[in-house]
Amino acid sequence: MRFRECFEYLAGRHSDELVILSAGSCSEMWWDVTHQTEGAFYLEASMSLASLFGAGIAYGVPQASVWAFSGDGAFCMNPGMLMVEHELSLPNLKHFLVSNRCYGSTYEVPLPNAAANDYAAMARAMGVERVYHFDSLAALEEGFEPAVRTPGHSFVVLEVEKVGRKLKEPPVEGPEMKYLFGRYVERTLGVRVFDESL
Amino acid sequence: MLKSATGITARIVEEAAKCQIKLVASLPDTWIADLIAAFDRDERFRHVPVNREESAIGLCSGAFFSGTGAMALMGASGLMTCIYALTKINYTYQIPLLLLVTLRGAFGDRARYHVSNGLYLQPLLDSISLPYTIVDTPEKIGAVSAAYAHSRVISRPVVVAVTRAVLLGER
Repeated sequence: MRFRECFEYLAGRHSDELVILSAGSCSEMWWDVTHQTEGAFYLEASMSLASLFGAGIAYGVPQASVWAFSGDGAFCMNPGMLMVEHELSLPNLKHFLVSNRCYGSTYEVPLPNAAANDYAAMARAMGVERVYHFDSLAALEEGFEPAVRTPGHSFVVLEVEKVGRKLKEPPVEGPEMKYLFGRYVERTLGVRVFDESL
Repeated sequence: MLKSATGITARIVEEAAKCQIKLVASLPDTWIADLIAAFDRDERFRHVPVNREESAIGLCSGAFFSGTGAMALMGASGLMTCIYALTKINYTYQIPLLLLVTLRGAFGDRARYHVSNGLYLQPLLDSISLPYTIVDTPEKIGAVSAAYAHSRVISRPVVVAVTRAVLLGER
């Protein structure tokens, strides 16, 4: 499916879930589609840690739903992330793997073993029970509810086409991102993130 | 394990509890195997074994945004692999993080394969301005909670590096 239509669909189904986006295409496309500045953390240069960053949040605020997006470039660097996610088994964490078989943020250089990598099978081999694989918008629409709305950790592979051009990065710098996101969590979830000044 | 080491382990665990740490992510080093086990069986903590040290950085950094106190526990070699994650995530977004590591390669370490850590760990931390403190006597274990508080104040990671003698209860 086309990357943009995939994210447009997800953005249309998004409500109050916290969204964590890995570097490159995921961050850029989500920003391009939504221009969301609160409740979304654009973890630029995350190099495979976006879903575990999301897991840390999901662990501490079980009343929140967390959508974490990884690119398959990131996933290839650290597929063992799923071992940790499975160990945690957080019911409020949904991990979307955006698979375009390339390093999208670096002008779509191909991944190693790109055509053969079976991310869903890898997840199942690590014990993840709720694994979904969607390669068309129709399939995503049909499977969205059980994959995303049903409680329980799930791993959702989204097979998308290459974008073919570089999108703009979200115009939010590090400290601003921290406070936008942290204050949003404090305000909406009743959790204290930041210490009072000493 | 020596009886004195058991006491050291308990004191480190109590230090972590004192600063309201709830989540401990670890990858082992033989010196901290008992410490990891102590966190694992203590119900005040959720101990999460991770697949690689960088995963601990990601998990604990995310936990900050849920208001959950967290600590990453690893060997010196593991910390050496985390420089990218620390500088890209914790420095860029100014996210505090406490790291407790073994001071491998220092005096008293008998493992020759840790010579590189002895030569380069501290210079490396200095080179990225990563604050650290060395715990080389049991009396300094209070540095754990002090380091945690300092990381919150400066919004950056802080490292507590513990020697073999302290962790293994040796004289």
